[in-house]
Amino acid sequence: MTMPLLEVEGLRVTIDGPAGTLRAVDGVGFSVGRGETLCLVGESGCGKSLTALAAMRLLPRAARMTADRLAFDGLDLTSLPERALADLRGRRMAMIFQDPMTALNPVHTVGDQLVEVFDRHRLGSRAEGRDRAVRLLERTGVRPAAERMGQYPHQLSGGLRQRVMIAMALMGDPELLIADEPTTALDVTIQAQILRLLRELQREFALGLLLITHNLGIVARVADRVAVMYAGRVVETGTPSEVLGDPRHPYTRGLLSCLPGAGRGPRGSRLGAIPGVVPSLVGPVDGCLFRNRCGEAEADCATTAAEAPRTLAPGRIVRCLKAGVTA
Amino acid sequence: MTKAPLLACRDVVRTFAVRRGLFGRKRSLLAVDGVTLSVERGQVLALVGESGSGKTTLARMLLGLVPPSAGTILFDGEPLDAVDRRVLTRRVQPVFQDPYSSLNPRRTVARIVAFPLEIHGIGTADERRRRVADLLDMVGLPARVTHSHPHQLSGGQRQRVAIARALAINPDLLICDEPTSALDISVQAQILNLLQSLRADLGLTYVLISHDLAVVDHMADRVAVMYLGRIVEEGPAERVLRAPRHPYTRALLASELTPDPTLGLPDPGLSGEFPDPLDPPAGCRFHPRCPMASDVCRREPPAVRTDGDGRAECHFAA
Repeated sequence: MTMPLLEVEGLRVTIDGPAGTLRAVDGVGFSVGRGETLCLVGESGCGKSLTALAAMRLLPRAARMTADRLAFDGLDLTSLPERALADLRGRRMAMIFQDPMTALNPVHTVGDQLVEVFDRHRLGSRAEGRDRAVRLLERTGVRPAAERMGQYPHQLSGGLRQRVMIAMALMGDPELLIADEPTTALDVTIQAQILRLLRELQREFALGLLLITHNLGIVARVADRVAVMYAGRVVETGTPSEVLGDPRHPYTRGLLSCLPGAGRGPRGSRLGAIPGVVPSLVGPVDGCLFRNRCGEAEADCATTAAEAPRTLAPGRIVRCLKAGVTA
Repeated sequence: MTKAPLLACRDVVRTFAVRRGLFGRKRSLLAVDGVTLSVERGQVLALVGESGSGKTTLARMLLGLVPPSAGTILFDGEPLDAVDRRVLTRRVQPVFQDPYSSLNPRRTVARIVAFPLEIHGIGTADERRRRVADLLDMVGLPARVTHSHPHQLSGGQRQRVAIARALAINPDLLICDEPTSALDISVQAQILNLLQSLRADLGLTYVLISHDLAVVDHMADRVAVMYLGRIVEEGPAERVLRAPRHPYTRALLASELTPDPTLGLPDPGLSGEFPDPLDPPAGCRFHPRCPMASDVCRREPPAVRTDGDGRAECHFAA
């Protein structure tokens, strides 16, 4: 097997606060191969976005990061100097966000912002940069591309802005694309179009895609592999059919039972609910962090053994003491 | 035997004057263009549509916050503009998407929930205190949050506070504008369950605005689909969602990402972008994006075609 493009092992992100140290990401591990889509899925506060930022080495100053391994194409990202990281970012690894307006500069034209990526990484002449920008805008459906080059972000619809951001991410011809909730702010018909575009581009460019989402529908439809996160930890991994079709962690099962919609019981019937709230991640934590909300929890679940990942099959990992037993 | 519906709109229109740029001339934006619909007591009517469809403007008119430019809205058989504002707010209450921006951050939960009672001069201070305790219990909030401030609560708890406040004065109708869109899936499930049980216990009527068809499918008795200010399809939920007659409804349903790993990414089959509402297309407004569009669609706006209990505005609706 070839080396994965992005390797993450034992990633921890902590944030010091007045009440103590928050363990936002607590020993997360996964990998993304070339041409592969990994979805990190979870609810707010589970640490999925911080995990993505850590992979780009873009964490806010207040956050501290350690990792047993954090490597891009074999390069150790934890020890790389900022200059080398800056060379990687926007070129070999790119990121897109939920709200394009936070990433696009409102006072520069679309064209200038795309060409700037090209210039910054000294990838060719300005004319070549403009050529590539026009081609990528055309490819991402920002048409007529030549005309759009001269427009400002506020002149574009939300869907078009997201397409511009994707084109901008592709300017450096990256190998890895990290997308954090890229379609959450969009209307449903536009969401489907943007996801289709991302998938096509992924195939064309053989991109490794790390897609952060809270939407299990997106996971089902685009992921090659899924990692479900809860309280800063990955609690279950597998293919979408394994994780959604045969969930082994009680949290994953709980999430699925919360989904409304056709074929999920008669209209108006009670939805499943996960009782209680996520435990505080401030200060030391031990055992399974889902146990206070879990209907199957037992005394053992408070022990360190309950934190250990159990491998059911290659790539099928569940952090639950009962994962091997329950069906 | 026919009782007046709780809420009825007839040919309701709302325009806004907007100016493009600093020196642009004023133009008229038709946000809601001839909406006719009714909501029966105890029903849940869902309004679905994408941004710019006019669903929020319609909701604001139903709340009496914005007057219609033309047409009539009847509440319990009476024209809305004839109903005293105070009476209307006692009977129709909103629940918004973002409970954080709709709750006063400086007030405690108790004061937020009691506020409508104070405004309407209902009860003594003591009675209001008891009513607040009952309301918090009703929406599933623990008594210990009574003196908390909104920022100390989770998103789900804040939405429960907003619902408790809306229920304080025993309204008949709740206008819920994307009530769970800002919430996590597990919290959304709790709030939807709460809305269902309150509806059963208190006999409430809901107008539910949502872009999430799974939520609509779960909650609604009737569904109205809006596109560029018009209701393009309306009918019983079962029918609109299982046997849609309008191509836009079909595109919305096709775009829905159900968590089924055996299905790939759908192609909604829509061309182009959402049109400029200031310059709506001639003929059928949906024609530039419609996979079925023909000459007649470019020329003439479609008439309403009713079929039993449902209607659709499409030249090709069966």
